[in-house]
This record gives sequence, C-alpha cells and structure tokens, in this order.
Amino acid sequence: MSLVSRVKAVRLRIEDLHISFGSTKVLEGINLEIEPGEFFAFLGPSGSGKSTLLRAIAGFGPDPQGKIRIDDEDIGGLPPWKRNVGMVFQNYALWPHLSVEKNVAFGLEEQKMAKAEIGERVKEALDLVGLYHLVNRHPSQLSGGQQQRIALARTIVTRPRLLLLDEPLSNLDANLRVQMRTDILKLQRALGMTTIFVTHDQEEANTISDRMAVLDKGIIQQVGSPLDLYDNPVNRFVAHFLGTTNMIEGEVVSSDGKTCFIGKEGIEIPLDNSLDGNHGVVVFRPQSIQINTKIVDDSAVNLDGVVDSLEFLGSVVRYSVRVGDSNILVDQDHQRGKKIFEEKEAVVLAIQAQQLFFIRE
Amino acid sequence: MPRFRTSYLVAASLAFFLLIFLVVPVGKVIYVAFQDSSTGAFTLVNFVDFFKTSLFRESFFNSLYVAGMSVLGATIFAVPLAYFTTRFNFGGSILIQTLGIIPLIMPPFVGAVAMQLFFGTNGSVNLLLDQWFGINIPFMKGLNGVILVESIHYFPFILINLSAALNNIDRSMEEAAQNLGSSGMSLFRKIVFPLAMPGYLAGAALVFLKAFDDLGTPLLLNVNNMLAPQAYLRITSIGISDPMGYVISVILVVFSLFALWGSMLASKGKDYSGGGKGTSGLLKRDLHGWEKFGAYCLVIFLLLLVLSPHISLVLLSLGTIWSYSVLPDGYTFAHYAEVFGTTREYITNTLLYAGLAAGFDVVFSVAIAYIVLRTKVIGRQWLDYIATGALAIPGVVLGIGYLRTFNDFNVPIIDKPLASWWVIIVIALAIRRLPYALRACVAALHQVSISLEEASENLGAGKTTTVRKITVPLMAGGIVAGFVTSFATAAVELSATLMLVTSESDAPLAYGIYVFMQSASGRGPGAALGLIAVVVVAVGSYLAHHFIERNKRMQMSATGN
Amino acid sequence: MVFSGCSRVMLSRLALSAGLLTFLALPAQALENQLTVVTSFPKDLTNEFKQAFEKKYPDIKVEMLKKKTTAGVKYIQETVSNNTSDLFWASAPDAFEVLKEDGLLEKYTVKATGIPDVVGSYPINDPDGYYKGFAASGYGMMWNTRYLKAKKIPAPKEWNDLAKAVYHGHTGMSAPSRSGTTHLTVETILQGENWDNGWKLMKEIAGNFSTVTERSFGVPDGVNSGQFGVGIVIDFFGLSSQASGFPVEFIYPTVTTLVPANIAIIKNSPHPEAAAAFIEYLLSEEGQVMLLDPKIRRLPVRPETYSQAPDDFPNPFTDQSIGAKVQFDVLKSKSRYNLVNAMFDVMITYRLDDLRKATKAVQDAEEAMGDKNNAQAAALIAEAKALIAQLPIDEAQSLDKDFAGIFKKKRKKATDKVTGRQAEVEQKWDAMVKKNYAKATELAKKAKAML
Repeated sequence: MSLVSRVKAVRLRIEDLHISFGSTKVLEGINLEIEPGEFFAFLGPSGSGKSTLLRAIAGFGPDPQGKIRIDDEDIGGLPPWKRNVGMVFQNYALWPHLSVEKNVAFGLEEQKMAKAEIGERVKEALDLVGLYHLVNRHPSQLSGGQQQRIALARTIVTRPRLLLLDEPLSNLDANLRVQMRTDILKLQRALGMTTIFVTHDQEEANTISDRMAVLDKGIIQQVGSPLDLYDNPVNRFVAHFLGTTNMIEGEVVSSDGKTCFIGKEGIEIPLDNSLDGNHGVVVFRPQSIQINTKIVDDSAVNLDGVVDSLEFLGSVVRYSVRVGDSNILVDQDHQRGKKIFEEKEAVVLAIQAQQLFFIRE
Repeated sequence: MPRFRTSYLVAASLAFFLLIFLVVPVGKVIYVAFQDSSTGAFTLVNFVDFFKTSLFRESFFNSLYVAGMSVLGATIFAVPLAYFTTRFNFGGSILIQTLGIIPLIMPPFVGAVAMQLFFGTNGSVNLLLDQWFGINIPFMKGLNGVILVESIHYFPFILINLSAALNNIDRSMEEAAQNLGSSGMSLFRKIVFPLAMPGYLAGAALVFLKAFDDLGTPLLLNVNNMLAPQAYLRITSIGISDPMGYVISVILVVFSLFALWGSMLASKGKDYSGGGKGTSGLLKRDLHGWEKFGAYCLVIFLLLLVLSPHISLVLLSLGTIWSYSVLPDGYTFAHYAEVFGTTREYITNTLLYAGLAAGFDVVFSVAIAYIVLRTKVIGRQWLDYIATGALAIPGVVLGIGYLRTFNDFNVPIIDKPLASWWVIIVIALAIRRLPYALRACVAALHQVSISLEEASENLGAGKTTTVRKITVPLMAGGIVAGFVTSFATAAVELSATLMLVTSESDAPLAYGIYVFMQSASGRGPGAALGLIAVVVVAVGSYLAHHFIERNKRMQMSATGN
Repeated sequence: MVFSGCSRVMLSRLALSAGLLTFLALPAQALENQLTVVTSFPKDLTNEFKQAFEKKYPDIKVEMLKKKTTAGVKYIQETVSNNTSDLFWASAPDAFEVLKEDGLLEKYTVKATGIPDVVGSYPINDPDGYYKGFAASGYGMMWNTRYLKAKKIPAPKEWNDLAKAVYHGHTGMSAPSRSGTTHLTVETILQGENWDNGWKLMKEIAGNFSTVTERSFGVPDGVNSGQFGVGIVIDFFGLSSQASGFPVEFIYPTVTTLVPANIAIIKNSPHPEAAAAFIEYLLSEEGQVMLLDPKIRRLPVRPETYSQAPDDFPNPFTDQSIGAKVQFDVLKSKSRYNLVNAMFDVMITYRLDDLRKATKAVQDAEEAMGDKNNAQAAALIAEAKALIAQLPIDEAQSLDKDFAGIFKKKRKKATDKVTGRQAEVEQKWDAMVKKNYAKATELAKKAKAML
C-alpha cells in the first residue's frame, strides 16, 4: 500500500529560536536537532512552552526569531499552509460540518488531487486507523477515541514531512490512552515519518519516544533518551520531572584529603574530590536506597533516621524517613512476608555511592 | 417534577405577556382583514383580492427582491469587517466594531435627509461625479435606493452576530485547515464561514425580515410599490379604512414567520459549539505589507460608506444652508445652541425608555431562547414565532392597538389610562425590538454546549442556578449584542412612539426630532438633535457593552482561580 | 355669524356644563388649569400661541401634543372612551370632517365677531358648527434657485407651466391621500377646470414629477435640499423656507386655491372652558395679528388684521386672484373625497414610473414633431395623450353616492350594504391605467420614429 510505504524521513533543525507574546518571552534560545525518522517528545509542565514550540514548527502563533529547517530548507518564513507539516490537535479539531470522508479528504482537495485518487487515499488512510466503516458519519457521532483516529488519518493522508502531535492522548481515558500510544508508535514506525509528540506526562514520553527534550520556563533543560535523562539529569527540574527523587542541597568541602558533601540538614556524603568547593544538590532515587534497622554495608553511605510515615503502593512500600531536618523517600520492593517498618521506628538508610548524583548549581 | 412545572410556568407567563401586549392589541386592529366590508362576517375574500391585484403582487415581489438584495449588500459590508477584526491584529478593531453598530442608529427623518444630501440625484456625490465625469448614478432612485439604505442601515445585524460567531469558533478548527494546506478564500469558504453559519444566519434573517418589513426607508425615499408602505399608506390615510392595509399587515407577518422558519431549518443541526474543550479565544494573525495596506483600504472604504449618512448628518447639523451643493455654505453651532435647552428631558426619557425596553428584551429573550432550545414545553416554538412576528407589525398598528386596548384600563394609584402612561411607550418599544434581542440570544444559546450545563447540574446545581451561573454568563456575548441592538434601535423608533406620546414631558428624542423636522428652519436643529441621539445611544451602548464585558471578565477570572 | 342665536349659545353652554359635570366626577384632577391641544402644526406656530395664551391666562398650562394629522385623528378616535385631549388644531378640513362624522367633536359657537363667512371662495367655518377656521393659506409653487440655474430651467409662473417638457423629472408634490391640503388643491383644479380637463392637467403635471412625497413637508424638504427643483406647496412652507435662508423662491400662480386651517373642541373635553378661551383667543385681534409673524405666516381670517401686515403680504379679502376664481363646492368635494384620493394614488402615485415614461415619450415625440407636418404622427401623439388622460370613471359616477360609498370610512351599521370592495375597484382601474400608459408609450415612440 502506498501509504504504508515509508515516506522520506526528514531532519528538523531549530536554531536559536525565540518567541514572545508581546513582552512576555515564551521561548528562549531553542536549539534542537531531530534525526530523520525519530520519534521525539517535548516534555514539560503546562506553561513550559512545549506546545508553543510545536505550533511554531507548524507555523502557528507569533512570528519567531531564529531558524526552523527541514533538511536544508528554512521553513520559518512560510505560512502554515505552505509547510506540509502535519499536525494533530489536542482536541482533534474535526470540522463538525463535514463528514468523516470530507474531513479526511480536505487536505487532498486543497492539493487539487483528482477525485478518484482522493477516494483511494481516503480509504487507505481510514483503513490504516481501522475506521473505514465510519466514513459517512459526522464527527459529533464519533467517540473520543474514534475522533482521535480520524484526526490522525486526516493528517497522515497528505503524507506530511513531519508529524506533530499536540497532547494527542490527553482527552482519552486511561486504557484507551495506552492502546493509542502503542498504535501511534506502530504507525510511526511503519511510516518512518519524523514525529514530534508533546506531552506533560513523563511516562507517556518515556514509553513512546526515542529521544525527548524537557522544557521549563521557555528553555530546553535537557535533551536525550528517556533513560539517559532519568539517570543523568542536569538540574533539579529535570531530576524531579522525570520521576520521584530525593534531593539534598549543600556544599562540597575538602578536609584531611577527604572530599565531602555537607547537606544543610547535617547530612554528610563522601564525594569525588574533583567536585571540591561546589554548591549544589545531591540527587538519589527512592528505589536506590536500602532500609534496615542497623548498618549492614559499611561501603555504602549510611544515614540514620526515623520512619515518619509509610504508603503501600502495590509493588513497593514508600517510606518517608526523617533524616536531620529533611524527609527522604525510600521505595522498598514488596514481597509477601517482608518486614514492614513502623512509624517512629529508628532506621538506617544505605545508599551505594554510584547511586548518588551531584548536580552543581 | 418541579423542574417540569417551572418551565411550564415561565413559558405560560411569557405567552400571557405576549398575548396581552402583542397578540390582542394587534388582533384588535387587523381583524378587519378577515371581515367582509359589507356584512362584517368572517371572510377570506380580502386575501383573494390581494393576490388578484397586480399592484400588490408587484409590491410583494419588490419587497422580496429588496429584502434578498439587502441581505447580499449587508453581507458584502459585514463579512470583511467581521473577518478582519476577529482574525487579524488590526489597529482599531474595537473602534471598527463600535462604529459598525452606528448605522443601526438612524434617527427618523434627518437620516433620510442626510442620505439624500449625500447620495441623492443632486447630492454631494452626484454633484461631484457630474462635475468631474459628467455622470449621475441613481443610488437613491427607486428600489436601488431602498436596497442601498437597507443594506447600510441593517448590516450591523450581520456584523454583530457574525463577529460573535467568528470569535466563538475554536481556533484549532482553522489551524487544522491551514495545516492541511488551506488558506485565504478557500479556508474562509470551506471552514470559517460554515462554522460561523448559525451567527451569520441569525444576522441575515434579521436583515431579510427587517428589509422586508421596513416601512421608514421606502416611505422616505417615496417608494410606494412595496408591501410595507402599501400597508401603511392604506392604514393611515384619513377617512379610508381599506381592509387591504390590514390584509397586507397579515401577509407581512405570515411571510416573516415563514422566512424565520426557513432560516431555522437552514441552521438546524449546525450547532457547532466549541464544547468547552480546546482553545477558543483566537490568536490573531499579523498582517504584512500589501496585505495590510489592502485590508486597511477596504475597511476604511467600507466604514466611510456605511457611516456616510452620519458623516452627512454631522455636516447637516453644523451647516448653515445646504442646498444643491457639495458641502454646506457655511458652518455654525447655532443649531446646537437652539436644541440645547430642550434636549435634556428628551435625552433622559430616551435613555430611560430604551434602556428599560432593551433590558426587558434581554431578560425575555433569554427566557424564550431557553424555553425553546432547552425544554420540551409543548408549543415552545410558538413563543419564538410570535415574539419574532412583532418585527412585521407596523409601529402604527401596534400604537393604535395599544390605544384601543389599554385606554379603558386605568392604572391603579396614578389613576390614568394605561395607554397614556409613559410605561406603555416602554412596553411598545420592548415589543417592537424584542425580535432583535431574541435572535441574538437564540444564536448565543445555540453556541453554548449543553454539556456545560449538564456539568453544572451534575455538580448539584438546580436548573435555576445553572441558568443563572452557567448559561447566562456563557451567553453574555449574545446578550450584549441583543441589548445593544434593541437599545440602539429603540432609541430612535418613532412610529409607535408618536402614537403613544401623551405629553411633551414624556416624549423621547425621536419625537423631538419629528417636531423640529416639520419646518424648514428646523432642519439644522433637527439634525443636531439627531446627532445627539446617535451620540447618546452610541455612548449608552458602549457603556452597556463595557459593563457587561467587565462583569463577564470578572466572573471569568473568579472562576479561573 | 349668521346663526349665532341665543338658543344656540344656551345649548352649547348646557353641553359644556354637562361635559364639566362628567369631568368633575373624575377624582384627583384639578379644575381648568390645564389645556391639552392635539396639533399637527410646527413648533414655530404652537410655541408662540402657547406662550401668548399662558401669559394671558397664567392659571392655565397648555400642553401641545404634536402628532401628524393622521396620527392625531387616530389618537382621538382611539382614546375617545377615556379622553384627555381638549382641542384638535390642524390644517386639513378633511381630518375634522372625519372626527365630526365619528361624533368626536363638540359644537361650539364663537363669541368673537367680525369674521366673514368665506375667505376667497372657501367657507371659513364648518356649516354645522363643529370646527372653526382661524387662518388660511394659499397654494403655489416654490423652486430652488440654484437647481434651476444649474439645470438652466426657467422659473414657473402658472400651474400649466409645470406640464411643460422642460420640467420633466424636476418637480414634486405630495399625494392628496397623505395631505388634506394637497387634496383641496387637487379638488380645486378638478372643480375649476371640470372633471376631465382637471385630471388631464393633473396628469400632465404629474408626468413630470420626480417624486410624490409621503408627507406634505417632504415637498419643501426636497426643494430645499435640491432633490428636485420645483414643488407644489402651501405658501408658508415656501415662504418659511425662504426665511430660513434656503435659496428658494415662492409664487402664487394667478389662480390659486385657499385652504383654511382649523380648530375644534374634542367631545368630552376635560377642560372645555379653557378650550373655549383658546379658540376665542385665536380668533381675537391679538391672536390674529400673531399669524403675521414671518415664522408663522398664515393668512388671518379677520379682514382688519391685514392693516397691520407688511406691504407685500397677500390679502385674500382684497386681492381677487387668490382663491376667488373657483366657486368651491364643499359638498361635492366631501362626497367624493376618498374616491379622488384613491384615483390619484392609482393613476399617479403608484404608477408614477409608467406615467413618467409615457409622458416622456409623448414629450420626445412632440419635440421631434416641432413644426413638421406629419398628420399620421400627430394622430398617434394625440391618441397617446388621450390614453394617458383617459379616466376609469366619469364625473357622474364620481358623484354617485353608492359608488363613492365603497371608499367610505366604515359601515355605520352592519346592515349598511356596500356593493363592491375598494381593492376590487382599484384593481380594475390599475389594470386599465397600466395598459393605457404602456400603450401610450408605444404609440408615442412609434410617432417619434416616423419623424
């Protein structure tokens, strides 16, 4: 089938992009390169500018400064309708006055394609999303998931150079969301189209994207594969946004040839001496901490504390342990019969040195 | 079922009011249409006469033609203005939207004189054309003149309703189309306009009905071969009580309802409410270079055209003598000085009457719109039909009907016939302008997604609370539009007012203009008074707009936090 | 007054006190300290009289309720059951006739003496004693001097001038069905020239009309703004326009018509004494002199008032050219009032375009004819003119009571039998008129083609 045959994948390069709404700066100094055929995610909280960035690629919103290139062509000055960049809107934006068929055929009609060919392509696209039987319905007669698929079909039927998805799953219920996620990924892999996906849900970004960019306050915080970002966040924001984490602020000081991080709460953690004299935070994930009643492993960093509260989350038990002035979250795998620590119980937390990650600030 | 009972109760009181103040008084006047003039028995022979009479058939088609062409003209004026101001960052959008309403406020008599002085056979434009090119364009001759004036006069109906609808369209609807390669006219034709259709139809239906039923314009242009003037001339000729006048009134009403019903059919199933999700509140695009220049030229040209009667009115009010010349011979403030002493009472009366009438219209319209669109009350559609039918009732018929019905009814406490109490003027204005507010409110409620109301009910709010806290605020745009159109047009209404004014101290501005425009020396002062009316109404509308908008914003920000 | 006998006065006094009694029965209203006048007169006139009268009777507050004549009549008709108005003060005698027939006027005998029975040839007062003439006005022509100069048109002098081709499309008049005074002018022409010739002249003049206005004031308004050049108007419209500074002039043709302006007490007037006082004031020396004010400018009905008038002020009591030629037959006029109006509307107002076209064709043909001798063409032109002039009914039928009854206001009783309906008759006329005008146009064009 012609549609399923792979399209020529393009490389997207964004160079020093700035966008402001009036005097409010929304995006600043965006530099980004997305590889041909890559499934790329923009991840960030609401107001981070991720949707604005996506819309700028499609040509919507205020005129940006900087360059947006597809392969070697600068598309920055082009109006939206000349970019050939497909976008699926958060609310699907199906036109209520047109039937499903007319909705999907719209882009092809704009290209002045012959009627017969339009019919064929519409059928292919609808078959691809498995909804050809709804061809004569109107959008108001479709469920949310169906609307989503129609919106997707409407976009890919024109074989755009890029596929942009603006929070496509946010209006769906949880089960459908997982299903759609898989379907979208399958479709993308089949088409080989360079794809950008905007989301505020890190799990969604992790599962679906090859690489992602984390945005906050209009600035790209970090770009990389989901695993890389999880393990090596460059700042507190990224560390936090990609998953639950413990963070202790403090100074790195050297004395007697030993380099130590001294936390504000009086926690001391030995560190690599190259970091001497820095201020920053030490980051470690809850699941990388062992909890015991006494010191078990001398080579680990051991912290004394008292259990403040606990939550049972299913596969893990999450303890909040008071260490000095701060609380540290500890996730302990749960198995039948395993000891559960009680509130007010004195414990020792053990963290292997390599699980500790210092972020200089 | 308390909910059920409430809606019936409201519907019944609405129906009762319409019955007392519209159906009965009008019925008392136009029953003659169904009476055999020799025996007094019921008959339809007069209607047979109507269709047998070539003059009436001709008048009927002329009215139809004028109404259709006026819709076309009004569309041509309104669409670019609405589109540019809602879709682009356009300097003075608010100004354009405000100025766009002014043509509705055409003070009686002086408006027509001003138009003639500007566009007439020997008006400024033609004198210049004659001087430069030796040509004369009959803008104001015959049906052309009526079409031109009606288009200019009533295009704000489309502008207001279409702008509201355009603002309500979810932004992503257009972006999706642009994203798929659509732009310019094609985008407008295939996506934007169809989505704004309910608003456009509401406005276009009003223009059509108004142009079809309008009496003032053809009369002032001395065009007799149309239905409304035929009815009027026959009803008001002294000593003649030709039933044909009333027959024509009945036909006007029936046809208007028919046209209304047609427009309802056309907008059925086109309920494209944004549904609350997605991004409404459009991001406006910037215009560049030639695009910008062209757009500004078009908008300024259109504004000059639609405001020409008022520009000419300004000249008339400031001019000394203006006769067969491009501009007045000289300028003076004397006319303003002359009217200054007498106007205060007129202004307060006008603001009071038009304000009360428009306020009443809005409340009534919301209630009717709600009953019609949201309840299952049997016969609910008739509330809409009957209220809208008021559009087709000549003011003079309503005036006579009120005198006939309420003169014997003494209002308690003040002990005066209801017909000579100033409140009757307010009621007459309210009834006459109800259709305007009603169409705007119905269109607005059409665009409010029912799920938003369901959400409120789901959270435990009763019907009344939901209407008050959810439905009405969401309809605010339409309510403002309705209030402004009712207010603006009520303030310059004359025909029913002239019949019902019983003392000078109760008289509104329109009456004052009439008094001045009866003598040659009164033309300047009449124009000054007319302009004061326009300014008062414009300021009043603006304040109403501003006030309601501010309330709306406050509510929005309150719910936003 | 001829019939101002003692018994009459007594009767009217009785009627007055009866009215007073019913009035007294109403609570919460003060005695004779108020006067409500329903009037169609302009502010310039009403204000002067209001102020002068209030000065003379400081206790009485006058309310001038301005309504178009038609609206005023309807207003009085509809409020009869709970009447609050005292006087009806307007020009058109027909409006008073209608009210009188409906029994809505109170008889009143004027105390003031020295007022003759007729002005020109028109009786000043209602012979039945219901309404009184207090002033008269003459009809004439006004024109816009700039307009005539620009279009190089001569100023008209006589009615016949307006039928000339040079005025085609440049004149205007109000419809008699819209303006009682215009009706009187038409009726005067019909009586003065006789039925057939009168209509012929009327149609020749009307064939040149640029427009037939809906309001009588529409004519001076149109001339003032230069919409059309010449208007057939009542004198004070023309003269007050001139006084206001418009570039217009007015003349009375040699034969003019006079129309009176009237006042009457409304039945069950709440303040009959104040109303009577107002009428007496209006007819007194003092009141009559006020009519000479250039802003008001009506012809007084008291002959001696003219001694105080400016030199160029026309005096119908001495100048025989004003309104004297025609012996106006009021009864004749009254009997066919609505019929004449309907005829005018059907033949002229509603078919103005067709009439204009036919007239233009005839005028073109006549111009082409010039001094040429072409009997065939001349015959065609004559035929065309005859077609235009043709009338649907003759004078005898116009005076036929039954036929005129079709156009009557309303049935007095349900048993009153009327044959035929107005719409039916009008449709017949319209069909004929339309056909005639079209045929006339065709013939005239044919004639022109021969020349």
